[in-house]
Amino acid sequence: MSVRSMARVALVIFLVLMVQQTVMVALRIGGAHPDLLWLLPITAALLDGPETGAIVGFWAGLAFDLVLPTPFGLSALVGCLLGYTVGTLTAAVDPRAVWLKPVAALAGSVGADMLFAVLGAILGQEQMVQVDFLALFLVVGLASVVLVLPVNRLMRWALAGEGNRRSLVSAEGDTGVW
Amino acid sequence: MARTRRSRRTLTVIVLVVISLSLISLDLNGRTHRLTSGIKSVANDVYAPMRQGVLDIVSPIGNFFAGAFDYGSVQAQNEQLQKTLGQLRAEQAERSFQLNQLRQVMALQTLPYLQSLPVVTAQTVDQYTSNFTATITLDKGRADGVDVGFPVVGAGGLVGQVIAAYHHTSVIRLVTDGQSKVGVVFGPGKQYQGIVDGQGPGNDMTADLVPPNTPVHRGEVLFTSGLQAASFPPGIPVATVSSFHTAAGASQETIKVDSAADLSQLAYVDVVQWVPPA
Repeated sequence: MSVRSMARVALVIFLVLMVQQTVMVALRIGGAHPDLLWLLPITAALLDGPETGAIVGFWAGLAFDLVLPTPFGLSALVGCLLGYTVGTLTAAVDPRAVWLKPVAALAGSVGADMLFAVLGAILGQEQMVQVDFLALFLVVGLASVVLVLPVNRLMRWALAGEGNRRSLVSAEGDTGVW
Repeated sequence: MARTRRSRRTLTVIVLVVISLSLISLDLNGRTHRLTSGIKSVANDVYAPMRQGVLDIVSPIGNFFAGAFDYGSVQAQNEQLQKTLGQLRAEQAERSFQLNQLRQVMALQTLPYLQSLPVVTAQTVDQYTSNFTATITLDKGRADGVDVGFPVVGAGGLVGQVIAAYHHTSVIRLVTDGQSKVGVVFGPGKQYQGIVDGQGPGNDMTADLVPPNTPVHRGEVLFTSGLQAASFPPGIPVATVSSFHTAAGASQETIKVDSAADLSQLAYVDVVQWVPPA
């Protein structure tokens, strides 16, 4: 990843962090609010493969860990694993497929929240598995499906110029809206 | 070529996972927690003013979405507002809001259970930042005399405990959080003891370790015990009993309790500058 891309990714992470902590936390439905964090590694992985997904997931998670009351490093770990997994599982899928982003956002966000809660409980934070998972998965999953497109647009801007086949194909295949 | 690339990719992920696990270990280890706490503290000192600035800009957007999810009441409110004169109504609402805030602050000034304990009155600036914890963030931190472990009370009773204190902000774990455990006493002469356990946001709290068939009644107030090594001073209302029963053969009574403090009204709280006696 070039220095320019890294700077842009850092800017996108900061922007998403601010939106999450100011707007998204206020949108509590059934005790849960949307979680934009997981969309960063998901979109990075879809655009540039598992390695970029893992790197973006790690740094995005670390940035969120600085302001969250959960164990420091946990979001970074889950973000890294999420980016790598999404990138690996979708490697053989045609990036122009219209269902790819929403499905990856839904499955990735729900899976990441589940892993986050289980790992937290293993690390002694038992309260993390005492939440209403149905409401959590519905809110986070549906919000991710809706918000994956604008986040993907930001990430595509951040990773522009990487020369990766997936990002080029994705850009060509898009309708131009996102 | 492809194999080399795959190996590099795997190595990158392994390195990132190892770094993440190391950070988690540092954070959860009692000796090295200060390091990660310090990093978080510096980050929060930088982040808090930026967040406030962004909040000032985007709060109208948040209000818009909040209104969209509660359209019915917004419409009703709108109809109501149209019936009144704009300027007069705005002034009235403003006065009412200020009065409400004043009431909350005044209520904090006269908490009977605090006796002469020194307190720092703080405003809540953030709530439930994570989906997995019941926490609030206050606008007072170490610079204002707030430190980790201090109890936090509101009108009605115990709200929670400080779990992180930064320079100008602090994070409070609410009594409803799954990690919260408070030693309590109740009954005539405060002869019965138990532990009020948080069960996560939105779930009823429970009073555990209460022997079977202990006499208790609905609405009974449970107070902090203040026993040796307790994390809270004695006599603060923690919860009220909502239901109870002893199942046949059970080793303890099943008691469900509600928070004594109104956790939906946490605009202002008092941080009690109290540390357990050595």
